[in-house]
Amino acid sequence: MHPLEELRDAALREITDARDAQALEAARVKYLGRSGSVSAWGEQMKTLGKDEKPIVGKLLNEVRNAVTTAIEDRAQKFRAQKESDALSNIDISLPGTPHERGSLHPLTQMLDRSIDIFRRMGFALADGPDIEDEWHCFDALNTPPEHPARNEQDTFYLPDGRLLRTHTSTVQIRAMQAAPPPMRVIAPGAAYRRDEVDATHSAQFHQIEGLYVDENVSAADLKGTLEFFMRELFGADTAVQFRPHYFPFTEPSLEVYVKSKALKKGEQWIEVAGSGIVHPAVFEAVNKARGDDAYDPEKWTGFAFGLGMDRLAMILFDIPDIRLFAQNDLRFLKQFA
Amino acid sequence: MKFSVNWLREFVDLPKNAEEIAELLTRAGVETESIQTRGAKIDKVIVAQITASSRHPNADRLTVCEVDDASGTKRQIVCGATNYKVGDKVPLALPGAKLPNGLEIKKSKLRGVESEGMLCSPIELGLGEDASGLLILSPEAKVGASIADLFPSDTILDVEITPNRGDLLSHFGLAREIAALTNGDVAPPPRSSEKIVHEDSGRGRPGSIKITAVRECPFFSARKIDNVKAGPSPEWLRAKIESVGVRSINNIVDISNFVMLELGQPTHAFDADKLKGGINVRLARDGEKFLALDGKTYSLASENLVIADEERAIGIGGVMGGEETGVTESTRNVLLEAAYFLPASIRRTARNLNLPSDASYRFERGVDPGMVLSASQRATELIREIAGGQPAKEVAAAGKIPANPSNVSLSHQKCDQVVGLAIKPKTVDQILERFGLSKSKSTSKSKSGRSTWKIPSYRRDLQRDVDLIEEVVRAHGVDKISGTDRSRFTPSSPADHLHDLESSLRGRLIAYGLSETRTSKLIPRSAVASGESAIQLRNPLSEDHVALRPSLISGLLAVLERNIRAGAERVAIFELGRVFVPPAGKEERRLGILLWGRMASAPHWRTREKRQLDFVDLKGVIESLIFPSLSFRHSEHRDLGLATEILSGDRSIGFAGQLSGARTSTIDAPGSVFLAEVHVDLVLGAQGSAKTFREIERFPAITRDIAMIVPEKVSHAEILRTIENPKEPLLESVQLFDLFTEEIGEARKSLAYRLTYRDRSRTLTSEEVTAAHARIRERLQRELSAELRE
Repeated sequence: MHPLEELRDAALREITDARDAQALEAARVKYLGRSGSVSAWGEQMKTLGKDEKPIVGKLLNEVRNAVTTAIEDRAQKFRAQKESDALSNIDISLPGTPHERGSLHPLTQMLDRSIDIFRRMGFALADGPDIEDEWHCFDALNTPPEHPARNEQDTFYLPDGRLLRTHTSTVQIRAMQAAPPPMRVIAPGAAYRRDEVDATHSAQFHQIEGLYVDENVSAADLKGTLEFFMRELFGADTAVQFRPHYFPFTEPSLEVYVKSKALKKGEQWIEVAGSGIVHPAVFEAVNKARGDDAYDPEKWTGFAFGLGMDRLAMILFDIPDIRLFAQNDLRFLKQFA
Repeated sequence: MKFSVNWLREFVDLPKNAEEIAELLTRAGVETESIQTRGAKIDKVIVAQITASSRHPNADRLTVCEVDDASGTKRQIVCGATNYKVGDKVPLALPGAKLPNGLEIKKSKLRGVESEGMLCSPIELGLGEDASGLLILSPEAKVGASIADLFPSDTILDVEITPNRGDLLSHFGLAREIAALTNGDVAPPPRSSEKIVHEDSGRGRPGSIKITAVRECPFFSARKIDNVKAGPSPEWLRAKIESVGVRSINNIVDISNFVMLELGQPTHAFDADKLKGGINVRLARDGEKFLALDGKTYSLASENLVIADEERAIGIGGVMGGEETGVTESTRNVLLEAAYFLPASIRRTARNLNLPSDASYRFERGVDPGMVLSASQRATELIREIAGGQPAKEVAAAGKIPANPSNVSLSHQKCDQVVGLAIKPKTVDQILERFGLSKSKSTSKSKSGRSTWKIPSYRRDLQRDVDLIEEVVRAHGVDKISGTDRSRFTPSSPADHLHDLESSLRGRLIAYGLSETRTSKLIPRSAVASGESAIQLRNPLSEDHVALRPSLISGLLAVLERNIRAGAERVAIFELGRVFVPPAGKEERRLGILLWGRMASAPHWRTREKRQLDFVDLKGVIESLIFPSLSFRHSEHRDLGLATEILSGDRSIGFAGQLSGARTSTIDAPGSVFLAEVHVDLVLGAQGSAKTFREIERFPAITRDIAMIVPEKVSHAEILRTIENPKEPLLESVQLFDLFTEEIGEARKSLAYRLTYRDRSRTLTSEEVTAAHARIRERLQRELSAELRE
């Protein structure tokens, strides 16, 4: 072994054994310093013969590089250690800087989720007033004054004879009055019933009305639309059942029930919506008001549905009492932040 | 309506299991709301007769009865009920009996007196809801007989009948529906073969009939039945009507109710001896008084139909009979009415008088005109059997039984199109035939697939093709239709645009730490009393909901009050929703904001500042919204101590301020409440659409600070105006970064501003900034007497 190689091995051992930056610096001075032992070999080179010089020169370069790299690596390790020692004093278990967090009302969240789903299916929003007249709320919806389904008892009236809409179905009529078919809208909004208030009834509640009028719209389309909605809302394994029912403004009329393991009441059918094929008498009333034949019942068919948002939110968020929505206790609202 | 399964079985074969029947009906749109079993096997409960009764020696509320149980020896029973008299027959649970509610009967001593069993109420036997006293049995009940034999076990279905299906409001009607759904047979209803004598002559002799109001009452019949023995009903009749929730009155009235429950046609029995002259079916005179069977006097209007004799109204047609002519135990001869009334007229009358009855419920939904005389005959037969009456040979009648409903034409193509499923024409025909429709021969071979259908008299709800299609869907099964995808490209609407803007508004407020509330649009009386004018409801149901909110403020204050009571220390809330502006109730969308309490909802090691929320916080929230060019100026507001008007440009868009002390104290809020309300329509409606790019500054800015002391009255706005006018072209922006009033003496304040100078086209020199800055400093000293600090 060449003495230079012996020197290299000794230097590397010393560098590895250095306990701290100080010891490392001492080693650096010892080997690479101006009068260090590796540097001394540079002087010695001058004394070597012509044929020996290149060989030793090459070896000396290798040794110097190896020692320099080893010192730099070791120094880097000491610097990293020093930094991490300093940072380890920070108590990472301290509570983070607080930001007051607001919350969207659960009904708004329910409405937004529903609106998003219907928009993906190509429904646009429509709107109508809460204060309505009897024609929009009843007559145009095939519920004339002496109809057994027309229940003025359950309707709030204003002194001037107008009323608070008992369902958002009024917007069906307003939308069709405003534009010819095809029509594909949903109308979120408030509705009012003169009901005794209890855990499942409130005087004012929220609905989303839907209406699709086009050529050849069928009950199968209605089913497809609401099945998609329910599965998007409650999960892919949601079972949806349609049961025949009666509403004056649709024929056939179907009530919609869901059953899903994801829900607390998963084992039973829960009623979530009313729906049906728009009754031709509704189109006829709209045509009369429009003064044209835009909604010719022989040419156009449509489906309509109404979803109770309070009820859906109660099911989805497992909320036991509808009155919690209007009370706005922050301890309630913050649960949905 | 309640249906007895035993009763239904008299007409149709039913699935064994009640759940199956319920499922069958429910899936066909006749929803079964509950299933109840009654009179389940109860052993060791027998008929006993009370033979003596005396006060319990040690308890005021108890009596000691002696009863005969046909065993030969009398039993002594202690009893808590008071609704019986000696001689009554009642159910006796013998020792060892186990009642449906789980109670086991033992011989025992009650307050020191031996009791050898228990006398039972209906609820204790599972025979009804009545818990008020003993079940008093019919006098005909055989002492010693088992109660289980008297009340055979039955299942009661509570079924929701939709308003279009008046034909299902009877056991026969529901049985007919079940037969159609199961493709089974229904026992035919009794057919009338009565001889009818029409008397519309108006001569007014006793028993004659005249209809003046022919529109409201197309057909009226009456049959005289003499020598009836009115009295309690036999046990079977009583049990049958009581099983479906109808109270037993006497045999004649019970028979009338029985026939209604069986066939759906209400009838009414008058005490014939109390009638004067012939019957006239007419409209009431305005203000005509009528004492009805419910014991109340009604003041009638000219649209109400009455059955009258020569002197007075004896019944409100189709709604309720009169008290004076009702059948009682002393009635000897009766006149049995069976008629057809116009549904709309009955509905109007029942609603206007607020007098709904079992009869009006059926008439307003439309009874089967084909059943009127059959029902009359059925009732007559029963009165003869049960009350021993002798019916007149003929039925007196006036008017005409309404004709059958018009034919309805249906095309198979339309049916398939509406259902979204191809159903074989043969299947469609079979379904309709099962529901009692018949194909009119003349059109059955039409090539268009169109056929014409005759509608049975009891299905007046079937008026157009879609009504027939619904029958097909119901019977064929909705489950057979598979859902299809009919999504569609739809352009967004103004409502979409508004919804999205509002969503982003909500998002900003939540990011700011506010919680969204949704209060009722109906406000309580108390809010109206203390608030501004609001549109009041004509018919409120409770004091909590009497008017439409004219603003969001009272709702937000109620939420604040509730949360303070619940212990909240910070309430930062908003609501975005509709209000109704009096007098016309114009509907506007508003944003309400309320801040109260601490800056932070909980103490935190990092948050040194533990201050209360204030007006500047409220202003910050409003400024964080997307309203263009906002400013605030002093104004007046009824509820606010400090009131400002919010302007967007020069348009007023709402108000903000601090609730007045008087108003704050009414809601018990410690500290100050800060409120704002903004007209969202005004601001969002005017929103421009896309933002456009502006080149990012390429040259550096130079900043200089100015600290100054000014009299307290000098406002920030004045200082800003002084800095900015006349305009220094290099001045880019001005930021207030410090403000304090402490330690600088009375009525003065210290402010510090950072001024940023920049030229967008070149790098500024220190000299030109110094020159501009010096001009501004000089102006502040000169115009505001500001004392500048270095």
